[in-house]
Amino acid sequence: MRLEHWLYTVPLRLRTLFRRRSADRELDDELRDHLEQKITQLVATGVSVRQARRAALIELGGMEKAKEECREMRKVNFIQNSLQDLHYALRVLRKSPGFAAVAIVTLALGIGANTAIFSVVNAVLLKPLNYKDPSSLTLVWENLPRISLWRNVVSPANFIDWQDQNHAFAGMAAFLDQPVNLTGAGQPEQVDVEFVSPNFFAILGAQPMLGRSFSPEDVEKGVVSGGQAKTGVNPSKAHIVVLSYGLWKSKFGADPNIIGKSVELNGEAITVVGVMGPDFDWYVSEFSFTHERPQLWTPLEMDATWHDRTKVGRFLRVIGRVRPGVPVTQAQAQMNVIAANLAARYPKYDKGWGVTLVPLRDEVSGAFRPALLILLGAVGLVLLIACANISSLLLSRAAGRRREIAIRVALGASRRRIAQQLLTESILLGVIGGVLGALVAVWATESLVHAASASLLDFAEVSVNWHILAFAAGATLLAGLLAGLLPSLMTARAEVASALPEGGRTSSAGRKSLAARSVFVVAEISLALVLLAGSSLLIQSFYQLMNVDTGFHVSHLLTFQISLPEKKYNDQARAAFFNQLLGKVRALPGAISASGDVTPPFSGVGAATDFAIVGEPPLPPGESHGTDVRVVEPDYFRTMGIPLLRGRTFNEREFAQQTNVVVINRVFADQYFPGKNPLGQKVIIDMKDTNLPDEIVGVVGDVHESDLATAPAPVAYWPYSEMAYSTMTVVVRTATLPLSLVPAIREALGQIDSDQPMAKISTMDQLIANSVSRSRFTMLLLSCFAGLALVLACIGIYGVIAYSVTQRTHEIGIRLALGAQRRDVLLLILRQGARLAAIGVAIGLAGALALTRLMTTLLYGVSPSDPWTFAGVSVLLTLVALLACYIPARRAMKVDPMVALRYE
Amino acid sequence: MSKPNDLVQGTLDMLLLKILALEPMNGFAVSQRLKQISGDVLQVSDGSLYPSLHKLEQEGWITAEWKTSENGRRAKYYSLTRLGRRQLDKEAENWGRLSNAISRVVKLKEA
Repeated sequence: MRLEHWLYTVPLRLRTLFRRRSADRELDDELRDHLEQKITQLVATGVSVRQARRAALIELGGMEKAKEECREMRKVNFIQNSLQDLHYALRVLRKSPGFAAVAIVTLALGIGANTAIFSVVNAVLLKPLNYKDPSSLTLVWENLPRISLWRNVVSPANFIDWQDQNHAFAGMAAFLDQPVNLTGAGQPEQVDVEFVSPNFFAILGAQPMLGRSFSPEDVEKGVVSGGQAKTGVNPSKAHIVVLSYGLWKSKFGADPNIIGKSVELNGEAITVVGVMGPDFDWYVSEFSFTHERPQLWTPLEMDATWHDRTKVGRFLRVIGRVRPGVPVTQAQAQMNVIAANLAARYPKYDKGWGVTLVPLRDEVSGAFRPALLILLGAVGLVLLIACANISSLLLSRAAGRRREIAIRVALGASRRRIAQQLLTESILLGVIGGVLGALVAVWATESLVHAASASLLDFAEVSVNWHILAFAAGATLLAGLLAGLLPSLMTARAEVASALPEGGRTSSAGRKSLAARSVFVVAEISLALVLLAGSSLLIQSFYQLMNVDTGFHVSHLLTFQISLPEKKYNDQARAAFFNQLLGKVRALPGAISASGDVTPPFSGVGAATDFAIVGEPPLPPGESHGTDVRVVEPDYFRTMGIPLLRGRTFNEREFAQQTNVVVINRVFADQYFPGKNPLGQKVIIDMKDTNLPDEIVGVVGDVHESDLATAPAPVAYWPYSEMAYSTMTVVVRTATLPLSLVPAIREALGQIDSDQPMAKISTMDQLIANSVSRSRFTMLLLSCFAGLALVLACIGIYGVIAYSVTQRTHEIGIRLALGAQRRDVLLLILRQGARLAAIGVAIGLAGALALTRLMTTLLYGVSPSDPWTFAGVSVLLTLVALLACYIPARRAMKVDPMVALRYE
Repeated sequence: MSKPNDLVQGTLDMLLLKILALEPMNGFAVSQRLKQISGDVLQVSDGSLYPSLHKLEQEGWITAEWKTSENGRRAKYYSLTRLGRRQLDKEAENWGRLSNAISRVVKLKEA
């Protein structure tokens, strides 16, 4: 029965839908016909024609109303009405372009900003990592709570014991990155290779696109020559490599037959066994030696010496997959127990050391979470302000259209119908705003990608996807509904009788509307204050950061990295190479001085170890002194502009051969030789297999090594003769633009070794700028939002005051007629605006005090409740708000009392 | 003019369907016939009549046709459809049950 009913009615309704006009005419004819018949009947009873007509019409209840009721009965009304509403809404908007423009722009900016930020948040925090079951992947770090070191690289011996003793992990793999020179394929280039345990790809669940990845058989149990530095890496004997998709495309032309071919890495021929797909994206920046994405993977061989804790320090990174069904907390607990056991068995090396498990998701994006969440919150506030503005705008329009609505009610429109029509208007605004907002979102997302420097975040993945569009659409509809609902509710209850007479501007409905709008404006101002306070704090914080004294001269300092292949250069050859290179560079016109440092400031990497002071009683294990270690070339301190405080720096003889001398910085001297003269004292620094005492020959000034916010740590400087690393960063003080020297340097380098590439060419200015890029980025964005909020709040308060002025025109006319000065009127209006602004600022201050506390992690050198900042932004906002009131206040001044009084 | 409540509306629908079951006629004629048959007891106001007729038409229980009436003018004639016949039977049966129940209660002997 139901189905048949449907089959019959659906075509019927479709017909009604499409033949509306003729259906209307028919209805008209039908009712007219009825009237005629009724009148004929009445006249037959002796009533006059006129009276009969009148009686018939009354009985029908009014022609239009009857027609409307009939129309309502048609079930397809909803679609017809909506189309009609849409048409009407479009006409209405076209007739007031100013209002439409402001509303649409407000919505577009609010929604566009929201979507852009949400795209970024989605890409960074929400998008699942591209590995199998990524939630059970965690990084395994060692920690040393005693010095608040929560993440540290891992000792190979500990790693081996962890693998043997744990039950919570399905598998653990070690990885370690290193720069390597790729030659024989175009320009020599330095790329990053990741040494990985053979089960690395299996743990990630990643399949190669071509060929295969690694298996345990690939790693031969071979012993490599001893005498290596404790932090050195022994090249694997496996001589096989897996390429990244990017490298395969860029350097090898996406050769489909690459498997089995060999590539030249550090002068050796290595066979390609696999290529990863374009979706494989592996990069852990914490403790990365190169801070670049690895382009190659090769098996990591556990050298025999790595079981011996006396011979090797900590340098591995470890990723593990927790067994299915085992929560990470349980794994953490078990690892704690294992670490405690190891500390008890090997107190000299493991006392005080523990284990920190960090889920991979947190490792990759954790650093950015606070900044991104704050930005998301800020953008939400901006959207709220935008919605408040829209509501306010629509409310004032509704008040102005009361006459029109009253007439429609009289003509028979139901309240629901009117509410529906008003809602359609706001939804239309919302949709247009949303479409524009999507465009703004696309543009803003791309701008974000450009504005963020490479070291901030890998934004390559960020794009506006369907998630975002759905969010934008949802935000749009919500904004439109929120904004349209209040005016609709208020207007639908309008009293018809009071609206119809001419004038009627100061009715209660108008007053209620003004009150609501005032509430909106106060809310907007308080939200704007919160945003202004937040961004001011960030601006101050950034300013403080940039003013930190780094301890050396930053400008006009060129830096680049050279990695010499170990097979090609032994210790002596390396020293000779760098001497030769530095000699050539110093001779270049435009170069004031040149030197080298294995791990210079702001490079993101450094070495640290324990040491003992000769003559002191040995310290209990786990409490030894610690220091950073830097290995430098001649003339380093002068090139960098680091002042010499006591004693001397290294001389030529000490660079020519190892003479066991060390230069320390002031923090080292103050911390370990307080009140004493450190010169002549001897320290034994634990970096190599055998460590001889070094004599302290000089004390130099402190330098910020890792970032501007971290205070300098104790540093011990060694001449290159003491430890000939294969990777060195050359620093050159230039007279002109640092980068202008690069071609000449490249040529000089080519004269010494044509296969040796230069890598990481940069300036110290750039490196420091990179180190604060996240702070700068957050600051700029939040300031943009604060600016936007300020503009919107101004529009809001302008609107309310202007509306209030039109409402009070009559009153102002009376005042002027009674002798008030024009200036008094101006002050009257300004006072009204000031009152609103004051309340808004007061609420905003309370809110800001509560909320800026959340920003503490992002702030440097300024407290989240800094009184000067709060006072400053309060004054700024009040002044700007008053300025916005000034224009309507001036208009109030110009009211002609004669004209005003004529209105009722 | 307030909307009729559900009970009255439902009954009105049934009455209109029944009248149209007798023969096809236009709206005016329906109200006249109803008045006549019920002896002036049941009078449907014009303001409720046409909305109801249109609703019945939308539901597919009656169908309309424009015909030339006796006095030469065009008029819209409604007639019952097959679906309408079924609906009428159903509603008549419900009404019968309802009125019996009410009668039984009202006829109870008071103590």
